[in-house]
Formats: sequence, C-alpha cells, structure tokens
Amino acid sequence: MNAAPSTSENPLPNFDIVGVYRRILNDDSELTMPVAAIEALVEAIAESSVSTVAETLALLEHLTKVLKNSIANPISLSAGTDLFQRYLITTLNRPGALNLGPSDDFKIIRNHLISNGNIFVERAKQSREKIASFGTSFIREGATILTNGGSRVVGALLRRAAESSTMRFKVIYVISPTSTDAEGGRKTVADLRAHNVPVAVIPDSAVAFSLGKVDMVIVGAEGVVENGGIISRLGTYQIGLLAKSKGKPFYVVAESHKFVRLYLLNQFDLPIDQRILEFSITDDENATEDEGVADLNSGSSTSNKPKNSVLTATNAVDFTPPDLISGIITESGVLTPSAVSEELIKIWF
Amino acid sequence: MAPGVALAPGLTSFLKSLKTNPADSSVEHLISLLKRRQIRNSRPCAIATAALISKVVGEFKGNDATRLLERIRQVGRRLTAAQPREVVVGNIVRRVLGLIREVVEDNVGGEPANNSETGRSTPTQSQDLASRPHLNSTISSMSPLRHAAIEPIETSNYSSDISDSGELTKRPPLLTSHTSYAPTSTAPLVNSLFGLFSQPVESSTASTPTVPNSPDGKTPHSLNLDRLVDLRGSQQYFDLKGEVMSGIMELQEELEQSDKQIADFAHEHIHANEIILTHTASTTVQTFLAKAAKNRKFTVVHAETYPHDNAATHEVLLTGRKQDARAGAPHDDDDRWKCLTELGIPVYVIPDSHVFAIMSRVNKVILATHTVLANGGLVAAGGAHLIAQAAKSHQTPVVVLSGVYKLSPVYPFDLDELIEYGDVGAVVPYDDGEFVDKVDVEHPLYDYVSADLVDLYITNLGGHAPSFLYRIVADHYRPEDTVL
Repeated sequence: MNAAPSTSENPLPNFDIVGVYRRILNDDSELTMPVAAIEALVEAIAESSVSTVAETLALLEHLTKVLKNSIANPISLSAGTDLFQRYLITTLNRPGALNLGPSDDFKIIRNHLISNGNIFVERAKQSREKIASFGTSFIREGATILTNGGSRVVGALLRRAAESSTMRFKVIYVISPTSTDAEGGRKTVADLRAHNVPVAVIPDSAVAFSLGKVDMVIVGAEGVVENGGIISRLGTYQIGLLAKSKGKPFYVVAESHKFVRLYLLNQFDLPIDQRILEFSITDDENATEDEGVADLNSGSSTSNKPKNSVLTATNAVDFTPPDLISGIITESGVLTPSAVSEELIKIWF
Repeated sequence: MAPGVALAPGLTSFLKSLKTNPADSSVEHLISLLKRRQIRNSRPCAIATAALISKVVGEFKGNDATRLLERIRQVGRRLTAAQPREVVVGNIVRRVLGLIREVVEDNVGGEPANNSETGRSTPTQSQDLASRPHLNSTISSMSPLRHAAIEPIETSNYSSDISDSGELTKRPPLLTSHTSYAPTSTAPLVNSLFGLFSQPVESSTASTPTVPNSPDGKTPHSLNLDRLVDLRGSQQYFDLKGEVMSGIMELQEELEQSDKQIADFAHEHIHANEIILTHTASTTVQTFLAKAAKNRKFTVVHAETYPHDNAATHEVLLTGRKQDARAGAPHDDDDRWKCLTELGIPVYVIPDSHVFAIMSRVNKVILATHTVLANGGLVAAGGAHLIAQAAKSHQTPVVVLSGVYKLSPVYPFDLDELIEYGDVGAVVPYDDGEFVDKVDVEHPLYDYVSADLVDLYITNLGGHAPSFLYRIVADHYRPEDTVL
C-alpha cells in the first residue's frame, strides 16, 4: 500500500479547517473531538476538487497537520484524524472492498464519503448510548459511584441508569473548582439530581477521604492509548492510584474512536506542552495570567488559539497507566486494557 | 452427590433417557435435574447440555437457520434460568449458537464467489450478493471482540472442525479469515474501528430494502438475523443440520479431550522435586499431575476444602478420580485412573487453615476451577481465594487449569450472584441447637479469585496470561450471543 506523497504545498488555501472544526464542535455540544475532526476533514474534501487518491491523502495530511498544530491538546483529535486517514488509505487503495462497483471510480467514493458525513456522526453518538446501556449493568442496587470531570459518556451512562430502572444508587462527583470543565460537571450533577439520584460534590482533595464509601469508580477518557492506559483530565491518575490502593474497581468509559496510537510510559511522555510543574523562586503573577488565557482559549470561543498555546493545571490532562484500570467499557463490550493494543493493531497493520 | 448407581437420577440416567425421550421432555428433564442439583459441577453440566442440544438440533425440522438459532436460544434461556450459577450450560449453548452462525456465514460467504463466476444475471441480485460479504464484515467490525473465527494456535481438535465443514461445502477461503490475522486480498477489511465508517458504506450502496442497516437503530444481532432471514429466500441449499451436528460432535469431543490436552502441558509446568499445592477434587488437576508423575518425582500438598468438598477430595486421593467423572465416561478402562500415591508421588493432605503456613515451602499452586470469567477472574471451590492470597503474599506462582468450555463470555458485574451457598449443617451440625441458635453460620461453596491473583491459565489450547483470556473468549463466542 503506497503512502501519500509528501506534497508540501497547501492544496486548499482558502479552507479554514480549524474554524470549521471549532464550528462543528460548537454547533453540537454532544460531539466528541475525534468525530468533529473527522467531520471537518470530510467537509474539507467536499470543498476541495481532489480527483485522485494521492491528492486526497496529501490534502488530508496537510489539514491534519494544521489542525493538530492549532489545538493545544490534539491527542483526542488525532485519534479521529488518524482513524480517518487509515480508513482512506486502506479503502482508497482498494476500492473493491467498498463494493461500490466494478471500477475504481474515485468520484463515487468521494461522493459517497461526503454524503455520509452525518451518518458518521450519528454512529458516534449512538455508540455513546450503547455504552450507556452496557455500563448500566455495572451499577448495582445501593452502589455508590465516584466519578470526575464533565465526561459526556459518563453522564449519559449515569443518566441512563437513573432513568431506566428503579435501582437506587448514589454518586460522588469530583469537581475541581478551578477546572475548565467544572461547568459540564455541574450540569451533569444537576441532571442526575433531577432524576432523584443523590449526588455529593467533592473537590479533588476529598477523594481519598470519600473512598471508603465508594463501591466503584467510573471515569471518562480523552484518549485510550496503546497499552490500555488512558489520557484524561488532570486528577484522574490520582483517583486511579487511590482506587487501586483501596481495592476499588476503576472503570473507564470511552468510545472506541478514542483509541489513539501513542505509547506512554509516564506522565511526561505526553506529546503536548503542559505547564503544570513551574518551578520558580519568585512569586510570579504570570502563572495566574496564563491560566486566564488558557481559560479563554479552552472555552468554546471560536477564535483561533495561538499556535504555541500550552495547558495549565486547569485544563491539563494526565496519564493513567493500564494496571490501575479494571476494564474499559466501549460500545462493543467491556475490554481489558490489554485488548486495546489489538484494536489498534487491527487498524494500523 | 447421588451414588453412581444407574437408577439414581444424574448425568448417566439423563444421557440414557436422552436416547429414548423426545427433545422437549428431555429439556424439562434436564431443567429439573439442574434445579434439584442432581447434575452439578462444570463437566457433567457441559456434557448434559451438549447432549441435549444435539438432540434438539437432531429433532429440528427444516433448514431454517433463524428458527434453529431461536429454538436453541430459547432452550438455552430456560436452562440457564434453571441454574444460573452453572455458567457452563450457557457457555455450551453459546458455542452452539456461534457454530450455527459460522456454518451459515461460511455457506453464504461462498455464494457470491460462485455466482460471480457464473456471471451477474440481474444488477440487483449481483449487488445484493456482492454486498453480503461486506455486510458480514461490518457485523464483525461492530465489535472488537469478534475476531477471526479461529486462531492458528488452536489445537487440531477444534480446527479440524472448521476445515471439515469447509471441505464439505468446498467453500473458497473467504471472509472470516480462518487462516490468519493477515487479511487476504479478497477479504474486505475486518476492522472494528473502521466500523464507524464502513456501516454507512453499506447503507448507501447496498440499497436493497431487504437489508436494513443500523442507522435505523438495528443492533448487530438483529442485523445478523435479518441477513439470515434474507438467506432463507435464496435458493442456495446446504446441509445446515448436518454441519451443526458435526460441529456439536466436535464440541463433545473437546469436552472429552480437554483434560488430556491440558495434561499434555504438564511437563512444561511441573519440574522435578517441586512441591505443588492444590485443592478440592478435580479430575483435570489429577490428570495433569498424573501425567507429570510419569516422568518426574514431585510432592503434592492437597488442601482438603472442608466441609463441602473434603469427601470428594479424599475419594480422588484414594481412587484417582471423581465419581461424577466416572459417570460421565463410563467406558474408560479403569487402569488409567491410578491415584497419585500409586504413581509414587507423596501426597500430604492438609486442612485449609494450614495453607498459609505451608505456602513458604510450596513451589507452585495449581487450582481447579468452576468457571473462568471474561475479565480473567475465576470462580473456584471455596478456599481458592485463601490459597491465591497466600500464594500472592509468598510470591508463589498460581496456575489455573481450565478447559476452554469453562471460559465464559459473561462479565462478572455482580460477584455475589456467582457464589453459591451450601448446607450450613456441614459446618455446624443442626443438632448443636444452642450454637445454631446464637451464631450465624455461612457456607459458601465457591470463591471468586480476581485476575491479578492468577499468574497463568492453562487451557486445552495452551498457557495464557489472565489478560489474554478476552481473546480466547472472542475466538469462541459471538458477541451477539453473550446475552441469551
């Protein structure tokens, strides 16, 4: 299978992929970053006038690079772009596999791809519902569940559990007051309370204190990496460590399009710039200023981020190694962390 | 346990009655036997279920795969409801369901290739047919747990099943890529993550109304069923029943052979002069140890698992085999069943309470199991958790022996449901009225041992790390059958 030739010129100068990506993400709050990225790329292909496989792949490569460079934390996004790229490479080189017809008519493939953009999105959303229905069987009568952050999958799962049965369960919601997605978390909390689920909101610092009352931990993830570990908002790692030390099961819910080809060994292998450890001998005010900037940027503003934007403690992520994870609940079932690599191998090789 | 007399209700009497009774009454018979615990433990349950299912398939009329699936599913649902803790019953049912699906897919998969040679008569038909292999792949791609139906490492027993059925129909090597991980050039991409894309591909191209697609909320299971319904209309005929029956026979053979196959790995795991600790009465473990005893000298320390299994343990140590195992395979020549001491292996029986004390001298722990679950944990005779924990704290390797048929695709959502409680009279006799009055006595028959306490599983396919079990589950069960 021949890789795309590396054309350095910009094949589609007038297309603002970042803008489109942000617009898509804003328009539909239910959308995850990988899916938004895929949708943006599909839109780009629709805009363009590419007519060959090589052209398409070059365009894709270029746009992916632009997109990744302009987003502070492209890990989750890259899962989507990689997936799309692999899909195109493998299917464009073998159009017969698509059953589109006897000839390898590129136009048909392209048209079909464009016309089905929204089905991709539907599918991705459906997978969340599917995860929710899988996940509810984890929640048992009288259980207390600890969760964190504003993960939409976790929210969907808990909501489904609250709606679908007469089961009673309690939720401990860890919300770090400075975190940028505290908003989303509070929304989920309000939603759960509206469904008569007792929710306790605690700060990060109270996790160890509360853990004695917890039956299981469920967290969302931004990306699931090759070794089965997860990349998730700052603080997830310590919840994992604490849960392990207390012998509480620690489950991750993530759609399988969040699987990303990265192999991390420790926190500092993350391929993004995070300003968390800032050693200083002066009481610098810069740090807080930076936080403000990061807050603005990571919020849902449509303005482009500065290219070299960094993540601070408010919106940073950490890496939870696979040995802390009991299971990964995906739309296709409960996987052990070691099953992730096989999934990735299947798409890459 | 009922004595092995032919008249007592149990596995032997059930197998005998199966020859004369029709399927429906046999289903009722097995249900009542399961409910009354007259057939219990994994192997007898597996043998009985396989025999019953083969009877059900044998009496099934017609060649309609959808109805056959539904029929077996319905029988399976009733059997598992009768005794939910005998997980093996459900496993066997799921294996047969997977078998039927495979037979159907093989035959349908061969179809388009034949047709494309003869030429495409009508555009709609050719499109319909051409879309089938791909539809198939999207079903599998919906779920990462669905892999190639067979793995190269599998032993001849199971793979012969596939090749047999393959030769029967002279089917070209298409689709589910039996041969290897490497996708052949003709096979469409079977990639789970691509499932996100490949489904819409179908919806736009294969616009035949008979094949509804998942955008309208179809689950992979119903998709598959629809496809089977679709199949009914096609003229292609194949011997569904015959192939399924031969598959079930292979399955029964596997049940019979699994102990021997597991024992074949004994020499790799038991070395000279080792001290091996085991527990409870298990034919699998006894066969394993006996095989190693032919060439090696080692010492066995046997925890007797009082009070629920101590009688059976003593019996195994004296005679070399369990009563219900004897009932299961009545025509085995008896001289193969020598007990370990006859083979020159010193055996020490210890009470469970001594396990921790003796663990420092033990080289290896070998556990028998009742059920192995998809996450790598296992349910074994009560006391297993104690042994596993003691082994952990002494860094002693824990090896679990289990036939693949005990491996269940069920995820242990609620552990308490899996543990069965037995007669407390065995712990404290009821005539000790004063004691029984004042003290709560519990008698769990099983223990759950979590995956991180186990170092190695040895199945009839070989040795596997607990984290690899998901893969074996994926190779043997279809995800659409996980919920019966």
